[in-house]
Amino acid sequence: MNRYLIILPMIVGIALIAACGSTNPPTQQLTETRMVIEQAEEVGAGEYAPLELRDAGIKLQQARDAVEDKEYEKAKRLLEHARVDAELAQVKALSAKSQEAAAELRESIRVLKEELERKNQ
Amino acid sequence: MLQNKWLLPLARYTILPLLIVMIGCGGPPANNPLLNDARESYEAAHSDESIVRLAPVALKEAEEALQMSTELWEAKADKTEVDHYAYLAKQKTLIARETALLNAAQREISQGETERQQVMLEVRRAEAQRSEQRAISALEDAQRERTAATEARAGAETAREIAQEARLRAEDLAQKVSELEARPTDRGLVLTLGDVLFDFGEATLKPGGMKTVNQLGDFLNEYPERNILIEGFTDSIGSEAFNQALSARRAENVKNALMNLGVRSDRIRTRGYGTQYPVASNATEQGRQLNRRVEVVISDQDGVIKDRTGSN
Repeated sequence: MNRYLIILPMIVGIALIAACGSTNPPTQQLTETRMVIEQAEEVGAGEYAPLELRDAGIKLQQARDAVEDKEYEKAKRLLEHARVDAELAQVKALSAKSQEAAAELRESIRVLKEELERKNQ
Repeated sequence: MLQNKWLLPLARYTILPLLIVMIGCGGPPANNPLLNDARESYEAAHSDESIVRLAPVALKEAEEALQMSTELWEAKADKTEVDHYAYLAKQKTLIARETALLNAAQREISQGETERQQVMLEVRRAEAQRSEQRAISALEDAQRERTAATEARAGAETAREIAQEARLRAEDLAQKVSELEARPTDRGLVLTLGDVLFDFGEATLKPGGMKTVNQLGDFLNEYPERNILIEGFTDSIGSEAFNQALSARRAENVKNALMNLGVRSDRIRTRGYGTQYPVASNATEQGRQLNRRVEVVISDQDGVIKDRTGSN
């Protein structure tokens, strides 16, 4: 229950930030999010998680637009969304590829075992 | 959940202000569908043993985002904020799910790799064994063939040699037989030593008879597989006993002469037939001379001589 005691000031803080609005553009966050998207593309998200990758890209662009409009809070939220989308795209691509590899491995083991059976006959 | 010591501060710092806010805003916060989705999704993941085990960090991050969203919603914060964290919670839950699948697949791959290498090793071992067996049996086949070829060659050579030898011996035999003036009969080769080769009324061989006996001895020494039967015959002049004894003695004398030439005694049988088996009429001197004789029957190559059958 004591986490409420911690979370409450946070909520108050967030509320304050929301009320006052951010004064600085999330430049660092923008760079990081772009990098996560690029990484997702590198691991094959374009093939294995195209929707998530597309969402991330759209949100990154919307974040840039928001920065243009000096809506830094909105930009930050969009970047957080874009980043989690890109992260999901990454892990989906990696997971799909690993599962394919595992299936291939299973198949190769099966074939080898058949071969072994033939050879031992 | 609510412990007594927390009840008072909680009521004081949380519930009371919230109630005040709620009353101030009028009514409880509206149901947030995005937050409900996120919670449902998170709870499903949280009850999945494999996700808890294989993606604990990602699941924890999802939980934190969900917690934040819930707190904000309970605090009746701005819907944009509640939705923001609800969305993060939902996506992080999906990340946890995919992370668990990824880790499971990678565990399978590392275990499968080990298994695959083991199976491959066994396959190679089986292959090696098979090729070894193939090599061994090929070697054995080759050896068998080589041996067979050698034997065949040797056999062929031996057969050729044997055939050659047999041919030579046959030629030689024919030559010797013709030298002995032996004549072929159904009992075998028969050599006749005429009366003129013996002293008159005696068993002693004359030098001419000795010459023939010497040839016979050479022949017998050269063809040790051949045996002989020496048969003595007389004409009908004189007593039967005398004639039988004389014929036997002449045959015996030939045998002794052959033994002196080195022919083993067990290869020589003798018989005295006396007046039996005349080859000519005893009525004339010429006929009687023909009847006084010693016949040497040479056996076949197995050493067998058929005995006389019948009276003539």
